Amino acid sequence: MKDQEIDGVLDNAGRAPQDLAPEVLQRLADSIKPTLRPVRPLPPPWVMTCGLLLISAAVSLAGAAHAGFFGFEKMDILERLLIFPALAILVWMAGSEFVHAMIPGSLRRISSGALLGFGTTALLIVFAFLFRDYRIDHFFSAGIACLLVGFLHAIPAALLSWLLLRRGFAVNSVSAGLAAGTLGGLAGVGMLELHCPNFQAAHVLAWHVAVVPISGAAGALAAWTLRFWAGSRRQARISLK
Amino acid sequence: MHPVSNLENLMTRYQQGDYGAATDLIEQIGPRLHRFFLAQFQSRTDADDLLQETWLRIHKVRHTYRSGEPALPWFYAIARHVRVDHYRKSIWTTIGKRQLEAMTKEVAADPRESDHADGLDALLAPLSESQREVIEMMKVAGMSLEEVARATSSTVGSVKQKVHRAYKKLRGTMNAAGLKTGQSEELS
Repeated sequence: MKDQEIDGVLDNAGRAPQDLAPEVLQRLADSIKPTLRPVRPLPPPWVMTCGLLLISAAVSLAGAAHAGFFGFEKMDILERLLIFPALAILVWMAGSEFVHAMIPGSLRRISSGALLGFGTTALLIVFAFLFRDYRIDHFFSAGIACLLVGFLHAIPAALLSWLLLRRGFAVNSVSAGLAAGTLGGLAGVGMLELHCPNFQAAHVLAWHVAVVPISGAAGALAAWTLRFWAGSRRQARISLK
Repeated sequence: MHPVSNLENLMTRYQQGDYGAATDLIEQIGPRLHRFFLAQFQSRTDADDLLQETWLRIHKVRHTYRSGEPALPWFYAIARHVRVDHYRKSIWTTIGKRQLEAMTKEVAADPRESDHADGLDALLAPLSESQREVIEMMKVAGMSLEEVARATSSTVGSVKQKVHRAYKKLRGTMNAAGLKTGQSEELS
């Protein structure tokens, strides 16, 4: 059987009459009438993405300003020219993905999971290319400190981003949470690159980059928990009625 | 296949508070969304409730529609969200499960309710839920690959893959059915 023949069979079956009682439609129209007033549409996606980029940059810079720009001062020109533009591109991609996750019916060019994988891999490649010091001094103690600092900056970046897009509506909240977490994680890495003067390859590759997947996973988990909690509350209200 | 060209204009007018545009949209989109729900839950009562819930959600988030963007995927994305939400609710609680079982029994007992299991539903029965959803959107709602990708929050490539797999499965099922019919005809 050819695809065109299957098309024909499905098209014929799909043309079945769509009967729906006019009273049901009238009830729908009546239910929205009392609250029907003009609404202000969302701004264009690029405006919202710019807002997210600014939030991420502000959180990274504020964190580094508070802790010191030791990493940035220690970097050479090539490191600065590769790391920060790469981070800016990844933040733009994550921001754009987050914006699209908050607008129903938006075209997704990359899924949130693929974005997280791509962002993590891109950072690993850039850092592996730039950092060639293969010593592993204070691997765990210094690493866990950096991971915590990065993650603590990812949280406000993700929350502020969510606040900026609060008028949106996520049809898939876990995917939106993953994108928001990835965005926050990239802001956390930005702060670490500005602040941390430890350029040992193992430290940067393991602990700095780990901020991104951990923040992404935390964002997805937070969104899933919120959805579960909201669902349970709604169900409890229905049961009480 | 469907007159969708004016949906975007109606949606923009709906955002501006035009009641006439809202009723026109309800008349055009309501029956399609109803059928979308009916295909999954097989109960007219459930489909009616979900349609009502969807329209309230659409009304609440109508500001998220962006002028110039295709409106149909926007409606289906919200309907799909409500459907998934409803499905989850029915799984989460034992009460929900019992109600669902009771409703299924009611549907089986009422021939009018089960009448909707038309040709398309029977044809798509062997497909997975996600494959069936994609085929329904394309063949019932008349959406393009890109519009289905928008409605399901996935990429065009992922939708293409689902359609390809669905057609492969359908081809197998239809060929097997044709083979059996042919064999029985030969025997008789």
